[in-house]
Amino acid sequence: MTTIVNNISFLEQIDQAQLPGERRIALERFHQLGGFPTVKTEDWKYTNVIPFLRNGISIDLPAAPAVTAAQLEATGLLLPDTYRLVLLNGVFQPQLSELPPASQVTVRKMSEATEEAAFKQYFNKSKRLDEYHFALLNTALFNDGIFIETKAKAQVEHPIHIIHLYHNTHNLLVQPRHLWVVQENASLHIIESAAGLNLGDTVFVNSVVEAVTAQRAQLSHYQVQTGGSQTRNINQTLVQQHGKSLYNNYTFTLSEADLVRNNLNVSLDDERTETHLYGFYIASGTQLIDNHTSIDHRMPNCESNELYRGVLMDKATGVFNGKIYVHEDAQKTNAFQQNNNLVISPEANIYTKPQLEIFADDVKCSHGTTIGQVSEDALFYLKARGIGDAQARSMLVKAFAFDITAQVKIPAVRKQVEQIATRYLAATVNN
Amino acid sequence: MSAEQDILQELAGRDYEFGFETQIEMEIAPPGLNEEIIRFISAKKQEPEWLLEWRLKGFQLFQKLKMPEWQNFKLPEVDFQSVSYYAAPKNKVKYNSLDEVDPELLRTFEKLGIPLEEQKMLSGVAVDAVFDSISVATTFKAQLHELGIIFCSFGEAVQEHPELVKKYLGTVVPQSDNIYAALNSAVFSDGSFVYIPKGVRCPMELSTYFRINARNTGQFERTLIIADEGSYVSYLEGCTAPMRDENQLHAAVVELIALDNAEIKYSTVQNWYPGDKDGKGGIYNFVTKRGICKGKNSKISWTQVETGSAITWKYPGVILQGDNSIGEFYSVAVTANKQVADTGTKMVHIGKNTKSRIISKGISAGHGHNTYRGLVKVGPNAANARNFTQCDSLLIGDRCGAHTFPYIESKNNSAMVEHEATTSKIGEDQVFYLNQRGIDNEQAVNMIVNGYAKEVLNQLPMEFAVEAQKLLSITLEGSVG
Repeated sequence: MTTIVNNISFLEQIDQAQLPGERRIALERFHQLGGFPTVKTEDWKYTNVIPFLRNGISIDLPAAPAVTAAQLEATGLLLPDTYRLVLLNGVFQPQLSELPPASQVTVRKMSEATEEAAFKQYFNKSKRLDEYHFALLNTALFNDGIFIETKAKAQVEHPIHIIHLYHNTHNLLVQPRHLWVVQENASLHIIESAAGLNLGDTVFVNSVVEAVTAQRAQLSHYQVQTGGSQTRNINQTLVQQHGKSLYNNYTFTLSEADLVRNNLNVSLDDERTETHLYGFYIASGTQLIDNHTSIDHRMPNCESNELYRGVLMDKATGVFNGKIYVHEDAQKTNAFQQNNNLVISPEANIYTKPQLEIFADDVKCSHGTTIGQVSEDALFYLKARGIGDAQARSMLVKAFAFDITAQVKIPAVRKQVEQIATRYLAATVNN
Repeated sequence: MSAEQDILQELAGRDYEFGFETQIEMEIAPPGLNEEIIRFISAKKQEPEWLLEWRLKGFQLFQKLKMPEWQNFKLPEVDFQSVSYYAAPKNKVKYNSLDEVDPELLRTFEKLGIPLEEQKMLSGVAVDAVFDSISVATTFKAQLHELGIIFCSFGEAVQEHPELVKKYLGTVVPQSDNIYAALNSAVFSDGSFVYIPKGVRCPMELSTYFRINARNTGQFERTLIIADEGSYVSYLEGCTAPMRDENQLHAAVVELIALDNAEIKYSTVQNWYPGDKDGKGGIYNFVTKRGICKGKNSKISWTQVETGSAITWKYPGVILQGDNSIGEFYSVAVTANKQVADTGTKMVHIGKNTKSRIISKGISAGHGHNTYRGLVKVGPNAANARNFTQCDSLLIGDRCGAHTFPYIESKNNSAMVEHEATTSKIGEDQVFYLNQRGIDNEQAVNMIVNGYAKEVLNQLPMEFAVEAQKLLSITLEGSVG
């Protein structure tokens, strides 16, 4: 492409020819797609990222400060009974971490994992990766990340809690890249949360997770998206599921970030897989929270189930796009999808687009979408029982939200998510 | 399984019953699209200067606009220069009664089962028959005239009621709306015009029958319906074309305007030639239809049964501008063989307390692909807007496709929007249940499909409901799920 894409300064400084193999190919492809997506790109119709990238953003990481245990504690994100991996700007911090037993799980920095067999087999191989602008940019320019591989049959006792810390001294673009492989018959829980440390300026996080569940493997993936108003998040999660495997994803967007975009693509590559996607988002202020999910049913006898709910307040904007593809041979597919939105303020916007593309006939697919308010009847019912307006509203909103958190299987995570959600809701619903 | 194969083959091999061509003397303009041809059409129709200018503006826009790329099918290259933009039965003079109409033409409409003849007056439908985009006959004119209703060909309306045409033409579908709308506004040859005066309830169904007859012609008609305050009209549209190997283009524009307390009901049974079983030939049905509920308490309802055309590509929409206005969209789209349908609706809520209801039933068989694409948009001032959308797909055969792309955009927190969609095949248990009661597979599927589509078929006026039901049966004869 001759047009230097979108006039983003840091991009112009990159010498494409200097990048090694895969990185160069990815950047070329990124340029082929036209660089950063604009609102003319169908998948980015409602989400304009360009203004967020025009503030002299740089990809040069600042010198890493020493993070103390006390600072980590102060984030309030720590969970009991978990293994802990702490990352600062995507770089693994072993001194703050608590690793799972090496007999069950291999944990490496991405930069040190390149010789692992699983890395060679799965890294940068996810389907549809080359359709995502930001994932391509990440492939081209990522700095580091975490590689996790369970041994076959490993039943990892505690969840692995990954805490992403971000630090900057100028407007920064951080691009962590992760690869998680759950080998045959193994089972693993991964929880992700995030916090900023002394953020002076904005930090734009463009992260990619590639996850693979081998035959009969089980992976539960919790994304607790927290963080202050200076963060912007583009998260791409690409999952490849092999036969009879199970993947659960829980995405909770409870941050103050101006921009959150989640791209979640699950590719069902073999028969009899099961997939559950749950999402909950609260958007307030002028936040823009955008969830794009897609599920590729490529083989017969698979089941997927998706439930996303959102609460929209103030002048916030919510976007939901759920794609379900049922490919030609994926007979006996069951795919369900639902998206409910509760709009609390008159100035909030919601754009939702559930999308089904079906090429096989013996399938059961459905989707549903609603946009609505707190029911006046329900409100009246509660008021008639002596509950004040504010409290009644808050009860109803919570009931709406906590249908999702009830799906969480780890009590500590559920408690933490509900606490954060309650705090957000209380701040706005009650005034 | 083999029975299923047989039936699918039978279905694939079914004949297009309206595939005959009428030998009639035609006046056809040479193929090609340029300013000259537009001036030629305009002169032929003795149009006033403003309309010629309007056409030329449409042509300029057509040259500027680009082909869309968002559609969910491969858009065939249409060579706009090889199409003839004007075809009319020769020696067209104004007919005062049907006796003067060319008997060959009358026989054509007879074959199509259209009640043009006076003796069929009892069927109570006023018909405007459009033959290769030229309106040839309009029945019941006198009766309608007594009530002040204007129902005539577009060309006549331009001559006799220019003030109405000038006031409303292009107000709902602007020329720049899309490339086919621009093309239509440049070269439209005729169409129907309806005006219902204040407080009048049109006593009979108004109907247009479209027929593409001549080879290498495109049909570009324009329909404009205006329902003045407190009036009501129900309008039907039906269409057929002869069988041909090459594709033909049908790019019509329909504009509906409902003022205060008015109601327009627009029904379409579309049965253009769908092409043969290998997807050769057939009509490209690229139509822009839109209505505006301009006044308060007005209502516009679209009902469509789409069984024909190689490609159906249209989104009849309603702009709900007046407070308390209502928009409805009922659709059954069937795609068999290699047919493609990319259809749906747009409901734009602008006024307060506006309601819309969308029921879309897609049926795909063979290699057919059926797409529902819809937009429900609630503007910031559309307090208490309400929408309900249901779009279901039924799949018959393992090489067909069903797709849904519903866009829902809400900028108002008092809006209630619901959308639900399901996709499935005909349940074996349902067929078994009917088998048990002595109903064979073919009939069982027929019953299930008709039951499935009933919600939409019920919206059609009597005469059309019967026809639509028959069409459905023919299209899907015996497909076993």
